[in-house]
Amino acid sequence: MSLILRVNMSEPCVRVEESAEAYRELGGRALTSALVAAEVPPTCHPLSAENKLVIAPGILTGSGAICAGRLSIGGKSPLTGTIKESNAGGMAALHLAALGIKAIVVEGEPPKGKWFRLVVTKDGAKLEPADGLAGLGNYDTVARQFQEFGNDVACISIGQAGEMRAGAASVAVTDMEGRPTRHCGRGGMGAVMGAKRIKVIVIDPAGGERPKPIEREAFQAALRKFAGILTKHPLTGQTLPTYGTNALANVINEAGAFPTRNFSEGRFEGVEPISGERQHDMILDRNGIIAHGCHRGCTIRCSRIYVDEAGQYVTKGPEYETVWAHGADCGISDLDAIARMDRMDDDFGLDTIETGVAIGVAMEAGVLPFGDAQGAIRLLEEVGKGTPLGRLVASGAEALGKVYGVRRIPTVKGQSIPAYDPRAVQGIGVTYATSTMGADHTAGYAVTANVLGVGGRVDPLKTEGQVELSRNLQIATAAIDAAGLCLFVAFAVLDDSSALDAICEMLAAFYGRPFGPADFLAMGKRVLAQERRFNTAAGFTAARDRLPDFFRTEKLPPHEATFDVPDDELDQVFNFT
Amino acid sequence: MPTVQVNLYAGLRSYIGGKASVAVEVSPDQTVRELLAGLGIPPEHTRILFVNGRPATTNTPVSEGDQVGVFPAIGGG
Repeated sequence: MSLILRVNMSEPCVRVEESAEAYRELGGRALTSALVAAEVPPTCHPLSAENKLVIAPGILTGSGAICAGRLSIGGKSPLTGTIKESNAGGMAALHLAALGIKAIVVEGEPPKGKWFRLVVTKDGAKLEPADGLAGLGNYDTVARQFQEFGNDVACISIGQAGEMRAGAASVAVTDMEGRPTRHCGRGGMGAVMGAKRIKVIVIDPAGGERPKPIEREAFQAALRKFAGILTKHPLTGQTLPTYGTNALANVINEAGAFPTRNFSEGRFEGVEPISGERQHDMILDRNGIIAHGCHRGCTIRCSRIYVDEAGQYVTKGPEYETVWAHGADCGISDLDAIARMDRMDDDFGLDTIETGVAIGVAMEAGVLPFGDAQGAIRLLEEVGKGTPLGRLVASGAEALGKVYGVRRIPTVKGQSIPAYDPRAVQGIGVTYATSTMGADHTAGYAVTANVLGVGGRVDPLKTEGQVELSRNLQIATAAIDAAGLCLFVAFAVLDDSSALDAICEMLAAFYGRPFGPADFLAMGKRVLAQERRFNTAAGFTAARDRLPDFFRTEKLPPHEATFDVPDDELDQVFNFT
Repeated sequence: MPTVQVNLYAGLRSYIGGKASVAVEVSPDQTVRELLAGLGIPPEHTRILFVNGRPATTNTPVSEGDQVGVFPAIGGG
């Protein structure tokens, strides 16, 4: 079974169709980008009837593969104007796969003034009126669904930011506890969902049959091999479950690449109180939970449950990117305040990176001082109220910076740069500049070889080798995103070639045909080539594959570094397309 | 004797009683390898090394006033 749900908001109605042959072996980012490239006019307005919201589990999602629960959401981005794929963990991808659904495609122009809920079951899908959910945050929205449908469903939803069609609006996915904590954060896909007037998608997997590999024994053997590698690797087996993603705070700070006070310094004097080590101790002291998985079948378990001093649940994580964006980038060293903002972001449905960087830019503009944690919380509250200032924050760093006449706006193609300063990690700068997604660390995580000593070593302060490093990582990442695998498996893949063999053996057994590492990388190249063609047709030229000029002209302490990779080298990243 | 500051992170802090950093006396021509050996830290338990914020290896020399950062395998994103 291989179904595509067509949700036509112009009628409104849902049509179930068999997937076309061309899409049979695709999933995740490969499928969302293929459908968007085939069906969305590259020059359309992202909030118009012509844009589509495409939701797809990965190829291996639901097959029994571990760490393969990613949900990809694609469309044309209202933040960047490029093609977009943003993925998250949580339970929704597994439930869609269990129903044999390869993709949900939301299209057309919804009736004015109405909100809808899409309910997906083994019998198909139906649109229902949902005006009563309008104005609610993600937490209240999903709580009502679990009350009505029971705890075995999963939800995909938007909060107030998505309803406002804001550029930083995320799409929330519920986790194993039924909380809306996993987000397709980047690129404003929540705004596209809001433009289609869908407040929540409820997925009930009951009675479904999960996808089965064609060669079951070979699949099980490859799976065992893959699981063994992930468990043995010190990063996926030890550090990530123990300290979570925020173990990075001290590493990146030590490297002088921790963007501080809106990218004006590379080290934050207040890092220790917001570090992964301190977070670990605080969580255990308060009887929170470490080593928490965001979906069934995750063996890495990098998530955590963060509680307040009274032991009451606040939020998940928070993750490294969030701790940095709401912390160092704003000069804030109060982890409880950061956790509160993470909860608010999840509830309003905001990308924590875009939102934190926007607040940092507001601080640079003098709207509030750097380091003002309570002021930052008050500013974020404006989003929930829908005030003009709140809408500005929810529109992202570039919009806010322009309105306030700020020169140092850390964005590429309108999307905020994440938690590694490209002047002190030149390889990630290449990825930020050239990614088809706008500034996105996950698109080609050169921090591995530049700083973490994973997958070789390339000096982060030199320009040599960075283009090749970024290119290879962008290709591999596109394939990992297609497979539905958590990107953190890449740490093991980069260190141990048998891990990529195991992934390809799983795919070969799943498809029932030979599939090797060369096929895997060819898949990544096809995805990137398709995305590049879309962006070119949307008007993006090489001149847009650049970092903001201040990265070349302002020296970053402590290394007094500038971004020096030449433009003509940046233009060689996609020389294979 | 000249000293360097060694900052340890994540599980490596257990080697210095849970503290975050320690001042260590160094002799001329000493390298990161000898520094770690003096603290009883097996090199295979370390993955990421810095001297004054620049990437280092166990062969990197250390001298008075240096800041040395030592991490196990760490990642995320």
